[in-house]
Amino acid sequence: MSQAPPEEWQRLDPRMLLVHPVREVVRFLPALIAILFAGRAAGGEAWQALGIVVPVAIGVMRYLTTSYRVAAGRVELRRGLVSRHVLSTPVERVRTVDLTSSLIQRALGLTTLRVGTGSASTSDDEKLDLDGLPVDRARALREDLLRASHADDDQPADPATALAEEVVVAFEPGWLRFAPLTGSGVVIAAAALGVGAQFLELAGFWDSLDAEDYESWSGPALPLAVAVPLGVLAALVVVSALAVGGYLVTNWAFRVTRRPPGPGGDWHLTRGLFTTRETTLDDDRVAGINVTEPLGVRAAGGARLSAIVTGLDRSERGSSTMVPPAPRRVVERAAVAVLGHDLPVTGPLVAHGPAAVRRRWTRALGPAGVLAGAAVVAVVLGAPTWVLAVLVALPVAGLLAADRTRSLGHALVAGHVVARAGSVVRRRRALHVDHVIGWNYRATWFQRRVGLTTLVATTAGGSQAVSVLDVPEDLAVRLADDALPDLVSQFRG
Amino acid sequence: MTLTVLVVADALLDRVDLPWWVFALAAGAHLAWAAVVPQWRYLVHRWEVTETAVYTQTGWWARERRIAPMSRIQTVDHAEGAVERLFRLATVTVTTASAAGALQISGLDRDVARQLVDELTLKADAVEGDAT
Repeated sequence: MSQAPPEEWQRLDPRMLLVHPVREVVRFLPALIAILFAGRAAGGEAWQALGIVVPVAIGVMRYLTTSYRVAAGRVELRRGLVSRHVLSTPVERVRTVDLTSSLIQRALGLTTLRVGTGSASTSDDEKLDLDGLPVDRARALREDLLRASHADDDQPADPATALAEEVVVAFEPGWLRFAPLTGSGVVIAAAALGVGAQFLELAGFWDSLDAEDYESWSGPALPLAVAVPLGVLAALVVVSALAVGGYLVTNWAFRVTRRPPGPGGDWHLTRGLFTTRETTLDDDRVAGINVTEPLGVRAAGGARLSAIVTGLDRSERGSSTMVPPAPRRVVERAAVAVLGHDLPVTGPLVAHGPAAVRRRWTRALGPAGVLAGAAVVAVVLGAPTWVLAVLVALPVAGLLAADRTRSLGHALVAGHVVARAGSVVRRRRALHVDHVIGWNYRATWFQRRVGLTTLVATTAGGSQAVSVLDVPEDLAVRLADDALPDLVSQFRG
Repeated sequence: MTLTVLVVADALLDRVDLPWWVFALAAGAHLAWAAVVPQWRYLVHRWEVTETAVYTQTGWWARERRIAPMSRIQTVDHAEGAVERLFRLATVTVTTASAAGALQISGLDRDVARQLVDELTLKADAVEGDAT
């Protein structure tokens, strides 16, 4: 293939001619199945071929009408036949570059290059995806784009250090033990159930079921006391297996490296069993970290880590995962490497005082107390005594309150605002003060009555904000004042 | 909010025969809301602009104070709704790069709002950087 200079409009890789039709067929699969069934019912044959021809034609069209170029400091992507669509972005706005290869692309040595600019648009049409470049050309383009977006940094391009890399996180099979504890298995199972049920419905499976079949079922009859635990156990095994499978598929060969090594280097994230994904994050855009500990994972001594990246919001969480559920020490080491300091990650936190503690207890015990009270009244009025089982809610709420109290805290250390809260999902967030772009103080009437407020440091990445829950008001003002001097103090009084 | 309650109650009146006092109660709640909440909001609402930052205080039950440094302002919006135009009022919205950080100053006199927009645009323009 002739290699045109990047200033000219270029087509994507011609091998995409193989990928597009397959992908379109998969996308049309439900329709195809419907056509197949309808066709069988109607007895038609020739027009069924349309089901194959149309997707293939769309694929070829897509290849012929898509082209891109990097010229005059802009990346431009042109596509569409009827409505022409040109996407264009200045190179210095490029924040992340993602390389994603699906299984079929990997077989052909291709990859999709996605340019992340931090635009708030969520529409697929507005995404700058170069879908289908040879891997080496995509890597070269990535280097070009990132170097251009760094142009103002004046970094001397030393070829020796440019190739060196420092491995910060590397996948270990032992991490799989955290997968069943994350609850992702339930999500996968629910999705599988949903899709499965739809296919069965399409195939007319439900109609062929007959309730009488079950009544006349002559298999070994199990007593309910055995069948129910057995069923629960089976469900647990299936859900755990799905969770482990999901973890394997997304996080196999997970690796975080820093290039060049040492502070200031760009972050390279690689992962995936079938579909591989490489993300490159500019270190200047990494605003902070988020250590998340779901209860189950925390009990097993694990956690997960994501980076708060300017211009990447929650919908692109996949790009900012720095460590999937893994042992705490791995997460802490990676977090310290990202922040360049250990105090925001492991350092002590300032407690929020007795009013905040009382609030934890009333908020946990209040609803549980109402529930328990209602149960007692119901039993007194003649409801069956097993209703009293609801009373279990009280000690559970107590444990929750105690744990939330222990979690609650904040700090301002080493230039980072640090906040931790939560019990069922405990989060510790650290945000560099340079990336704080505003402060919100939010207090309900109940909070004002006891002199508490929720301080929110807003930022342009992650969940857009780091909130410090229920801080005493004077502490909140002092925290914001120490973090960004002279900003808050001018509005006091 | 109470308005929707009223509408729903009204719609239900056709089907289920609600006693009249339910309707009266809803109307009463609506009136009480209309009498108290806007006043309360008005008393709470504050805004201030200095050389380096914009500050607003809004809300009634949950009170929210927002501060955005001038250097982080991305856009300044001036909007007039139909009712607002009737009373020569306007709303100024100041956004930063964070979805959680937009400041809204509503119910400003139209001329004051225009002046404010000009002032903010000039001040925000004077600072370098892409405000993220």
